[in-house]
Amino acid sequence: MTTLGFIAKNALRNKRRAILSVGSVAASLFLFIILQVGVRELTLPVEDVGSASRVIARNRISLGQLLPAKQKPTIERIPGVEVVSPFTWFGGKFRGEEVMFAQFAVDPDAFLKISVDAHIPAEQAQAFTADRRACIVGKDTAAKYKLKVGDRMMIEGTYWPFDLELHVAGIYSGTPDDRNIFFNHKYLDEASGGGGQVGTWWIKVRSPEEVGPVTSAIDKAFMNTSAEVRAETERAFQLGFISMWGNIKTLISAISSVVVFTLILVSASTMSMAIRERFRELAVLKALGFRRRELFGFILAESFGLSALGAMLGVGGCWALLTFVPATTLTGNFFPTLEVTPRMLGLGSLVAAALGIISSLAPAISVARMSVVEGLKTLD
Amino acid sequence: MDTIAAPAVGHPLASSASSEIVVAVRDLSKIYRQGEINVTALNNISLDIHKAEFLTLMGPSGSGKSTLLHIIAGIDRPTKGECHVQGVDVTRLNESQLADWRNQNVGFVFQTFNLIPVLTAFENVELPLLLTKLPSRRRKEQVKVALDLVGLSARGHHLPKQLSGGQEQRVAIARALVTDPSLIVADEPTGNLDSVSANEVLGILQALCRDAGKTVIMVTHDPKAAAFGTRSIHLEKGELVE
Amino acid sequence: MALPIKYNVRNVFIRWRSTIATIVGVALVVAVYVLVQALAVGLESSSANTGAPGNLLVMRKGSTAESSSQVKLDQLRTIQYLDGVAKDTEGKPLVSGDVLILINLPRRENKGEANILIRGIGANGIKLRPQVALMGGRWFRPGLREVAISKRLSARFANTGIGEKFKTGGHEMTVVGQFDAGSSAFDSEIWMDGDEARSIFDRENYSSVLLTTTSDLAATNLINRIEKDKTLSLKIVPEIGFYKTQTKTAGPIKFMGAFLATAMSIGAIFAAMNTMYASVGARTREVGTLRVLGFRRRTILVSFLLEGAFLALVGGVLGCLLAMPMNGLATGTLSFDNFSEVVFEFRITPRLWMNGLLFSVIVGLIGSLLPAIRAARLPVIASLKSI
Repeated sequence: MTTLGFIAKNALRNKRRAILSVGSVAASLFLFIILQVGVRELTLPVEDVGSASRVIARNRISLGQLLPAKQKPTIERIPGVEVVSPFTWFGGKFRGEEVMFAQFAVDPDAFLKISVDAHIPAEQAQAFTADRRACIVGKDTAAKYKLKVGDRMMIEGTYWPFDLELHVAGIYSGTPDDRNIFFNHKYLDEASGGGGQVGTWWIKVRSPEEVGPVTSAIDKAFMNTSAEVRAETERAFQLGFISMWGNIKTLISAISSVVVFTLILVSASTMSMAIRERFRELAVLKALGFRRRELFGFILAESFGLSALGAMLGVGGCWALLTFVPATTLTGNFFPTLEVTPRMLGLGSLVAAALGIISSLAPAISVARMSVVEGLKTLD
Repeated sequence: MDTIAAPAVGHPLASSASSEIVVAVRDLSKIYRQGEINVTALNNISLDIHKAEFLTLMGPSGSGKSTLLHIIAGIDRPTKGECHVQGVDVTRLNESQLADWRNQNVGFVFQTFNLIPVLTAFENVELPLLLTKLPSRRRKEQVKVALDLVGLSARGHHLPKQLSGGQEQRVAIARALVTDPSLIVADEPTGNLDSVSANEVLGILQALCRDAGKTVIMVTHDPKAAAFGTRSIHLEKGELVE
Repeated sequence: MALPIKYNVRNVFIRWRSTIATIVGVALVVAVYVLVQALAVGLESSSANTGAPGNLLVMRKGSTAESSSQVKLDQLRTIQYLDGVAKDTEGKPLVSGDVLILINLPRRENKGEANILIRGIGANGIKLRPQVALMGGRWFRPGLREVAISKRLSARFANTGIGEKFKTGGHEMTVVGQFDAGSSAFDSEIWMDGDEARSIFDRENYSSVLLTTTSDLAATNLINRIEKDKTLSLKIVPEIGFYKTQTKTAGPIKFMGAFLATAMSIGAIFAAMNTMYASVGARTREVGTLRVLGFRRRTILVSFLLEGAFLALVGGVLGCLLAMPMNGLATGTLSFDNFSEVVFEFRITPRLWMNGLLFSVIVGLIGSLLPAIRAARLPVIASLKSI
C-alpha cells in the first residue's frame, strides 16, 4: 500500500460522505461557472472579424428616432467610407408569438458587402438581391422553425403598423449571431407608405484606423440639422446597449460572490467534519510515530483530492456541456453562444484549490493540538 | 435514603422471593453469521426465573450471557426456542408489539448509562412515560417518585454532563422504573463506575428487589457485584454450567 | 407518541459547530432567492400600481406596448366627441392624446447612458392621472420646451434637477418640476406638452389616447363601439388592466431567481444531508436507547426529519434577516416593454418571506430524508454500542 493508496482509502472510507462532499463542490462550481458564462454573454457580446472596421450611426436622440434616408449620399461621400446600408429594426412577431430573432430591413447588395463573415451560397445571395420580397434567414432560426429556401414567412408588425409577407431566398451562417433575418428595405419603404426613413446606418470603413475620423466626420456632417447623428464603432454600439442593463452585471457578480462563499463554507465544513470524525485514527497514527507534518499532509491531500474531483466534475462538466451542446439548443435561441474561457476555468480551479486548503485548516489545527491520549479516547 | 447496603451474602430467602415464575426460557438458541462462520451464542438454554429474584448472569466474554439478557428483555430475537415473560411469549411478538411491551414491562439499565445528553435528568426519566396515555401532571408526579427513590430529586434540572457517573446511572435506574415494570434488566451496570458508586447502584437494585418486589436480572463478570444478587447462574460457550 | 420537539431543537443548537455551516448555507440560498424575487415583485408592482379606475386607454389594434402604438390625429378627433366620454369643468373632453418618445441620456456618476421615456401629454393629461403629484417646481407650460420629471428618475440621470437643462439631439429641454407617481410606471417617465413633443421629435401621430367616461355603462358602450369599428382599427382597454400586462421584464428575473435558488439549494441539500448524517452517526447509541424504551421507527424517522427541517428553518430565518435591509432599495433596469429605463424598488412582500421560509423547510426535509431513514433503520442493539 502506497501513501497515496492510504490517503485514497481514507477518503473513500465513508463513501457516502465522500460523494456528498464531491457532489457539493461540483454543484457549486458548476453554478459558479454558469454564472460567469451568463454574465459574459450578457455584457461582452462576441466580437466578430469585421467588427473593427464597421460603424453604426443612429439618431442622436435615441434608437427610437428614425433618420432621413436622404442622409445616405452625404455619408457615402465621407473619405474612408466604403459601403453604406440602411439597417432598420422591424421588431415583429412570428407565428403569433414574440421571438428571439430580430428582423432587419437592409439594402441587400450593400449588406452582403459589409457583412464579411456571413456565409451564403452565391445563388441564394443573388436571389436575395433580386427579389424585393425576399429575405435571408440565419441558420439557427431556420433550424428552430424548420424553414427552408422557398418557404413563406409572415411577420406581424407590432412596432410598424403593417405585416410583412416574405419568402426565404437563402440561409446564412458563420456570423456570431445566426438568428436574425434580413429583408429588402424597399419593401419596408413601400409598406410604410413611401418610406424616406431608416432606423440606423450600417457603414463599412476602409480600415480600422480610419474608423475614428469617420465617426467624427459623420457626427459633424449632421450637426445642427433636424436629425443629428451619433456614429460609433459597432463594438461601442453593442456595449452601449449593454450599459442600459445597468446594475445587472453588478448584481450577478454579487450573486456569484455569494455562491462562491456559500460553496466554500458548505464544502469546507463537510470535509472538516469528515476529518474530525477520524481523530482516533489520526491519534493512532501519531502514536505509531507519524509526525505532525505527515498528518497534515494526509489531511491536506484528502481535502485537495476531494475538491479536485469536485472541480473536475463541476468545472469540467460545465465546460463539456457548453462546448458540445450548442448554446442555441440549450437556451432556445436566447443566447447565440455560450463560451467558457480559460480565465473562467482558471478561476474555478483556484476556487477549488482554496477550498481544499480552507477545509483542511480546522482539522489540521486540531490535529496539531491533539495529544495522543486524548485522541485515542475520542469516540469515533 | 441509605443506598449503601452491605452486600448480602449467599442466597437470602427474603420474603420478596416467591415461587411465581416470571420468566420461562425454553430451548433457546441463538446462532448468527459473522462473515463466513456461524457463531453459536446460545445453545438450547432452558431456565426459570422467579418473581423478586435478583439473578446474576455470569461468565467469560463471549459466553452468551448478554445475548440471553437481550432476548429476555425483548431487544434481540432467538433463532430457536421460546421465552415467556409473565405469560407473554416475547419471541412471537412483532416489532411494534415488542416496543410497547418493553415500554410497559421492562426497565433497562445500560453499562454506558445511555442518558439523552440534551435532556435534563427529569426529562430523561420522563421519556418512557411519553409513550403512555398519562396526562402531563400525572407524568411529572411519577417522575418525582422515581427520582426520589434513587435520591436525586434535587438534581432533576441538571444535564447528564453535569452529573457524576454514579448519579447518571441512578437517573438511568429511575428511568427504568418510571413505568413501574415488573422486570429490571441490567447489563454490566457498574462496569463504568468507581467502587463507591458501584455499591450505591447495586444497593438500589437490591432494594428494588427486596422492598418493591421487582425481578432483577443482571449481567456481570464481577463476583463482588454478583454477591448482591439472590442467585447466580453461569454460562460458558452458550450453555449453562453448574 | 412523538418525541418532544425540544429534543430536536436542543440538538440543533448544541451541535452548533457542525450545524452552523449548513445554517449559513441555507441562509444565503434563501437570501439570494428572496432578493432576486424581490426585484421581480418590485418591477411588477410598479406596473400593477399604475392607472386610475375608470380610465380607458386607446391604442392601435395589435399593439402590445404604448411606445409601438400609433393613433392618428383624425382618430383622436373622432374619439374625443364620442358618446360617453366625460368632460371637464370647462366642457372640454377629458381626453389626453399622448406621444411616447425614447431619448438617450447620460446617467449620473458616469454610469453610462440609458433610454428614458418622454410622455408628451394633452391638456387634460395631468387631470386624468391623479396618482401623480407635483413634488417641487411647477408643471410645464404648453408650447414650450419645458419638462417635468419623476423625482425617482431624476435621481439617476444627470442634468435633470429643477432648473437644469439637458440636450437631446440638438434640442435643449428645461426641467421645471419634479413629480412623484406613487411607485407606478409613471415614476419612470419625463412629461411634457404633447404637441410640442410631436413637433420636436417629428411625430405625425400620437402613440395612445387616455380618456375617462361618464359611467361604467358608458365605458362598456364606448368599448363596444370602438372595438367594432373596422375603419378605426383601434383597441381600447381599461388603463389599470393594460399596465398590469406590461411585465415582460419581470419574467426573466423570476426565472433567474428560481434557477439560482434551485441550483444553490442543491449545495444546501448536500450540506444538510451531511450535517444530519453526522448527527445520526453521533447519536447511534441514543437512537438505540429510544428504541429500547419503546419508541417506534417511524417516530425516529419523523423526529430526524423535523430536526432537519428545523435546522434549515433557522437558516431560512437568518436568510430573511439578511435580505431585509435591501427592502425598499431603489434601483433601475432596462424595461423589455418599452426599452427604456424603469425605476423601481426591491419589494419583499409577506408572501415572499413565506416562500423563503417554505423553501428552507423543503431543503431541510429533502436533505434529512436519507439520514432520517438511516436513523429509523438502526437496530435496537445499537443502544449497546460500547463506543
